[in-house]
Amino acid sequence: MTTARRNVRDRLGWVVDGILPIAILVAAWQLFASIGAINEAMLPSPYGIGLALFDLATGPEIRENLLVTLYRAFGGAALGCACGVAVGIAMARSEAFDAVVSPLVSATYSLPKTAIVPLLILWVGIGHTMAVLAVFLTCLLPTVVQTYHGVTATPNVIVWSARSLGASRREVLWHILLPHALPDILTGIRVALGFSFVVAISAEMIASTAGVGRLIFMYGENGSYAYMFAAITSVVIVAFAADRLLLLLSSRLLSWHVSQRGGHS
Amino acid sequence: MSVSPRKSRRLPKMWLSILSIVGFFAAWQAIASAQVVPALFLPTLPSVLEALRAGAADGTLFVDIGVSLFRAFAGLLVALVIGVLAGFAMARVRIVRWFCDPVISVLFPAPKIAFLPVVILWFGIDHTSKIMIVAVSCVFPIAIAAYEAARSINPFLVWSALSLGASRAKVQWAIVLPACGPSLFAALRVAVPVALIMAFTSEMVAGGGGMGATLMYSQRFFESPTVFAYILAMLVVGVLMDRGLLAIQRFTPSLSDQV
Repeated sequence: MTTARRNVRDRLGWVVDGILPIAILVAAWQLFASIGAINEAMLPSPYGIGLALFDLATGPEIRENLLVTLYRAFGGAALGCACGVAVGIAMARSEAFDAVVSPLVSATYSLPKTAIVPLLILWVGIGHTMAVLAVFLTCLLPTVVQTYHGVTATPNVIVWSARSLGASRREVLWHILLPHALPDILTGIRVALGFSFVVAISAEMIASTAGVGRLIFMYGENGSYAYMFAAITSVVIVAFAADRLLLLLSSRLLSWHVSQRGGHS
Repeated sequence: MSVSPRKSRRLPKMWLSILSIVGFFAAWQAIASAQVVPALFLPTLPSVLEALRAGAADGTLFVDIGVSLFRAFAGLLVALVIGVLAGFAMARVRIVRWFCDPVISVLFPAPKIAFLPVVILWFGIDHTSKIMIVAVSCVFPIAIAAYEAARSINPFLVWSALSLGASRAKVQWAIVLPACGPSLFAALRVAVPVALIMAFTSEMVAGGGGMGATLMYSQRFFESPTVFAYILAMLVVGVLMDRGLLAIQRFTPSLSDQV
């Protein structure tokens, strides 16, 4: 009896634990909106937002603007992460390079990256290049720092063993240092991806002619709040999906790693 | 034995680092004064320093820094109070955990800046909306850290206090909170840069004074030296905040990891 019940609970567990609380929240929100406890001009009802979301989902507006934002976020993030890993490895492998670059990295690490948006507007104008560059610079630093940390944390014994067994420097890099640094690199990439969406949207809100950040702001300025909330909801959904996807990907990539053994996959 | 060779190798490294920063500014000045690019794109170093001096002289720079820092730290305070209460409640009460867990996992990865128009709609464009967007951005990492820390607390500490007659509320305040000090401080080190970023960014988007607003204003009027001066000032503020937190941690044993 208990096992059967437990089976049902296991299978429906994600509904009870994952969906139900959010459903309760939305239902309560709808209830308060229906009885007029919430001013619709300040907070539209879930029903109204749902209608707007459906309208947006069937039209081209949100799709095109979301694609523009995603293109900027992922383009900038891909460039930033690739360069970040390269710079991080170079810093970890060459003391001279480290000495030259690390003061610049540590000085700019705590600079709010959106502060360079006005500078980029001056330099390259408003558009794709500005947003991609802003995202690129944002994603660069966390990947540099995490890669550097991961590579330098590789025990010398492993590197020396490989060298003494005849591995070339390139082989050491590919087969020893990179795999060892992979968990740290993935942490850096996760941080960078989180930033990438934020910075792309921020850049669009500050100055842009396209993108979901500008779209949200435009709906807000026009007073079409149901559409504004619908656009925000779509952003929340995309960000959540991207985060889950990355978690899944990193647990796949790290399935061989100690941290995954015995833990949940 | 191994001290002297390391020392002699460290010295050139330090010099290389100093050289790197000096070289950065020298290259900047060389490019700017040679007019390789228009002064609008890259103003000379003296003109940037002059903009900084002018801002410091008439006090606008310090007013802007003060306004931005006030918003960042007021938001951080709100996030800290709500985050710690929520985290502790999640660790203690099962139904709170059941309810908050999915809500947090959906909202945590969301780019909070997208909520800026909502916050402006509810709280206007002055201090309150910026404080709220900072709070919304910082509350999630703090709540998660508080939850994790409160859950992994040594139960003997709690049991001892309870058996000695402490009330449940007193246990949370006098046992759980201090025990979570190091974890909460670590979360704070993550949250402070986020708070600064959100304060600056919301000012850049919505105006209403502060460093971000002045930065955007200067850019719109092509006052490049002021743009560079404010970016430099933001950089210094960011570094000082981080160093300040590290110093606090070093001189406060109860906040340090090494017990």
